[in-house]
Amino acid sequence: MEIDARPKMIGARVQRLEDPRLLAGQGRFIDDLNLPRMLHIAFVRSDHAHARILEIDSADAAAKPGVAAIFTAPDIAGLWNPIRATSRMADYHATELPVLAHDKVRYVGEAVVAVVAENRYLAEDAAEQIMVSYEPLGDAIDAIANAKADAPLLHDDAGTNVLAARTFHRGDVDAALAEASVRVSGNFRMHRKTPTAMENRGYVADYDPGRRALTLHSTTQIPGIVRDALVEMLDIPGNRLRVVAPDVGGGFGGKGALYPEEVLVCIIARQLGRPVKWLSDRLEDLMTTNQAFDEHVAAELACDGEGHILGLRAEVIGDVGAYSVYPWTAAIEPVQVVSFLPGPYRVPNYLGRVRAVATSKTPTGAYRGVGRPISTFVMERLMDMAAAKLSLDPLEMRRRNMVQADEFPYKTASGIVWDRAGFMECLDKVASSYESLRRDQTAARAQGRWVGIGLASYAELTGLGSRIAVAPGMPVNTGTETATVRIDSTGAVSAYFGIASQGQGLETTLAQVVAEELGVRVEDVDVIQGDSAAVAHGTGTYASRSTVLAGGAAINAARAVREHVIKAAAHIFEADEGDVDAADGQVFVKGTDRGMSFRELARAVYSEMGRLPKDIRENIELEATRMYDPYFGTTTPASHLAVVEVDPETYQVTVQNYVVAEDCGRVINPLIVDGQVHGGVAQGIGAALMEEVVHDGAGQIQTASLMDYVVPTAAEIPAMQVHHLETVLPDNPGGFRGMGEGGTIGAPAAIANAITDALAPMGIDINELPITPERLFRLIDGK
Amino acid sequence: MKPPAFEYLAPVSLEAAVAALSNEDAKVLAGGQSLVPMMNFRLLAPSLLVDISRIPDLAYITEDGDGLRIGAMTRHHAVEMSDVVRQRFPVLHAAMAHVAHLAIRNRGTIGGSLCHGDPAAEWPGLVLLLNAQLKTTKRTIPAGDFYHGALATDLADDEILIEIQFPGLAPGTGWGFEEMARRSGDFALAAVAATICLSDDRATEVRIVVIGAHATPLRLTAAEGLLTDHVSIGAAADAAMQEISPDSDLHASADYRRHLVGVLTKRALAAAWKRAA
Ligand SMILES: Cc1cc2nc3c(=O)[nH]c(=O)nc-3n(C[C@H](O)[C@H](O)[C@H](O)COP(=O)(O)OP(=O)(O)OC[C@H]3O[C@@H](n4cnc5c(N)ncnc54)[C@H](O)[C@@H]3O)c2cc1C
Repeated sequence: MEIDARPKMIGARVQRLEDPRLLAGQGRFIDDLNLPRMLHIAFVRSDHAHARILEIDSADAAAKPGVAAIFTAPDIAGLWNPIRATSRMADYHATELPVLAHDKVRYVGEAVVAVVAENRYLAEDAAEQIMVSYEPLGDAIDAIANAKADAPLLHDDAGTNVLAARTFHRGDVDAALAEASVRVSGNFRMHRKTPTAMENRGYVADYDPGRRALTLHSTTQIPGIVRDALVEMLDIPGNRLRVVAPDVGGGFGGKGALYPEEVLVCIIARQLGRPVKWLSDRLEDLMTTNQAFDEHVAAELACDGEGHILGLRAEVIGDVGAYSVYPWTAAIEPVQVVSFLPGPYRVPNYLGRVRAVATSKTPTGAYRGVGRPISTFVMERLMDMAAAKLSLDPLEMRRRNMVQADEFPYKTASGIVWDRAGFMECLDKVASSYESLRRDQTAARAQGRWVGIGLASYAELTGLGSRIAVAPGMPVNTGTETATVRIDSTGAVSAYFGIASQGQGLETTLAQVVAEELGVRVEDVDVIQGDSAAVAHGTGTYASRSTVLAGGAAINAARAVREHVIKAAAHIFEADEGDVDAADGQVFVKGTDRGMSFRELARAVYSEMGRLPKDIRENIELEATRMYDPYFGTTTPASHLAVVEVDPETYQVTVQNYVVAEDCGRVINPLIVDGQVHGGVAQGIGAALMEEVVHDGAGQIQTASLMDYVVPTAAEIPAMQVHHLETVLPDNPGGFRGMGEGGTIGAPAAIANAITDALAPMGIDINELPITPERLFRLIDGK
Repeated sequence: MKPPAFEYLAPVSLEAAVAALSNEDAKVLAGGQSLVPMMNFRLLAPSLLVDISRIPDLAYITEDGDGLRIGAMTRHHAVEMSDVVRQRFPVLHAAMAHVAHLAIRNRGTIGGSLCHGDPAAEWPGLVLLLNAQLKTTKRTIPAGDFYHGALATDLADDEILIEIQFPGLAPGTGWGFEEMARRSGDFALAAVAATICLSDDRATEVRIVVIGAHATPLRLTAAEGLLTDHVSIGAAADAAMQEISPDSDLHASADYRRHLVGVLTKRALAAAWKRAA
């Protein structure tokens, strides 16, 4: 049992530990939780986009069978302390976050009345009887109109619809544009998307009057943040308020904010002294889960005669919907568009301005990729437009402008610092088949086929540390995570985290990390996550952070425990600590046959009195809690390449081939990284070709079922090739970079470029996404 | 998205089912793939569901001369997998791949699809194309007379569709089925089905049906009349575009639908021509 024989768990294609449970229907989701005496909520939701509530008549509903209680906003006033998403950012206006609408409704689907009944059927029957009368307050659904000074205000106390405004500035853009030999510009539009996790949001609140303690079971991605907020809102101390996320079926950011329904089940459970469940149905999910994107971007790029970027200018209006989401604020999505717009390129002069404008629509929040799918779409389109004007190959255009290895750390025009990562290496990797794909394209074009190739490169900041907040100026520390690793008296290993998995495989990757460091087998480690009681402070899973932060904390904690394992074993074996090692669940003296299992060791330490002398025993702790803070964060670059074919008559787009090269540092489990890339790209393809939340002129949502909100199925997603680069990351315990969102960031841009390339003979630019067959028809028909 | 309360009955004879349907607001339940979603959305609130799936002998595919008789409770997937369907009516076989997804094809029935009458569904267009007869508990209705409009049929409230009768196709009939949908398994933005018989490279017998571009499936008689030789496919496709008055919806404008009908007609006719002997 030499050290070289140690199994290398990190980097292994370990099958996901959670899959047997999840695939065999043995997962425990919110809807599997049925507590005795539990009540169910159905909501009456606003059917107006912007209106004053005049009267609510619930007399008939209250008399219906099985109805336990009915709540409106005045009924719960005084039962909770309102909360706002605050920020130190200048020019930011927080909005209220009503749990039930009072006085005014601000989007179709906003909860107005909660009906609590013995089951959901009866609750819906009663809800149907409730009459709400409204006085319409005028349309406020257009972000550009709402940004004007005379527009009707959505929030009177904010005094403006522009909830946040920011400018990023470097150098002299006007001068750069004036001297440029080539300028390209466009008005870009990325429509509104919704996350559509397989499992809808759901909450069960269980109040124990005897202990005055509340447990909220929630589909949340952020149990720690929700717990901390509820402590403030409900005046229950943190040791009696626990937020548990059980198995959760996908989140994508949509479950990563505090929701009105989440607070309301707690208020009602405490008030009625009975457990209360609300599970969103798909209609509610499509109307109320925080949505994504929805930006208008006017941008211009200037280059010299060789294609070197001289300057970039952008004006962004983000439609953030009706409320500023907690805790991220309304700034989270649109501000990232301007802060990441310069991408992985050298942009000497930059001016990016953004306004986050309230409209009477569902709020937008932090959807997978957050802002960067749009910044990448815009920048990568501009790169291709400039290349076309210069008659330069798009690949060469990128090579000439990408930050090179000797330039790291590189500070971008918006102030983000890229640490050393494989920018060019990723581009070179996806380009390895480029020449032959171009030859195939030429042959296909000769047959009258419309085939196009699109590239997209980007870099993102992942695993943010305490130096940089996930959203500007927010008061929540998103820069640290804590892990506790514990060997109990049976020798079993438990690892506790503040993150929360929604199916990403974190139970497996974190078990791999702990197993590797501690010297046990992966299946010996039980990962406890998604529970605010697991560690003293943790904020959850979002922003491609969990592997970086929780993985780093896991390494630190496991190493601390391992020291004590070795120390105890050395004493028992009467050997030098330097000669003792642990691997595969055994502790042993190197080069000998002396060894014992972790179980035997734990028994010796905890149970077998007298095995260790008192002074040694008191200094053995088979449990450690450690924190990790990446401080700035980690840079993750990637390049994508898409090959598409457009039917020249029906305009149906098929993605033929898709290649990704990404650098997430040390890969813990290639199987899981592949899966994350595949899923991210699939969502990016959805954003590029299909998915759009559509409202009519009165703010009524038109895409209210999955017949009309079109999500790609497996049949629309091509097989993908994924290449992993593993650039070493110094000063980081595991060398891990975050990568959960990247697929969604690159795909819309790559596909827009590929379709533009396919239509190049007609000179059509794809600057609006999703590019549906209808939109293609109009573009082509207009030529 | 929970339906209001309803009664449920699962009779084992057609007579009992028809009798139960005389109750006010009673509805037939077949595969439930269209009815149940509508109930969950509370767009329909029947007081009684009469489940006809326990009635024996409503699911079958039987040869009848050159033709076929198919029971109303036959699932889409059974048609898709049937050898005799593939031999005699390859167009039916080909069209089945476009009906929803496998899970829905496993539950959904032909009778349910026909009685539901979605303008973008395949079956209503297919029975029109193939000149089928729809046999009910009261009478036999020619396919061309079955629909009054979108989601509206000629059936009485207490009438049950029991069988679809497909007369045999003339030997050498060529066929084409072309559909455009946003995703695999979605309802058609538009679809065109065609059959052609040829004699000396001239079209003798032509049927063209368009789906999804009208409140009901529509035969394109002007386009049919224009199809004489292979060269006239283009003219027939142009005529098809003029013969319809499609609606705009979330997924396609009227103009785009019209454009699609032209493309799909051309493709369906070209395919049918190629297959005709
Ligand atoms: C996601 C999804 C996608 C779909 N995509 C498509 C598609 O692409 N193309 C397509 O054609 N269809 C599609 N469908 C519909 C599917 O084909 C249904 O199976 C079919 O429309 C209804 O069949 P059913 O047996 O489930 O009928 P049910 O839902 O049980 O009944 C439908 C209606 O017909 C009545 N009815 C049923 N049987 C009889 C009978 N024998 N006599 C009298 N009345 C009767 C019922 O009372 C009810 O009004 C889709 C459905 C879903 C859920």
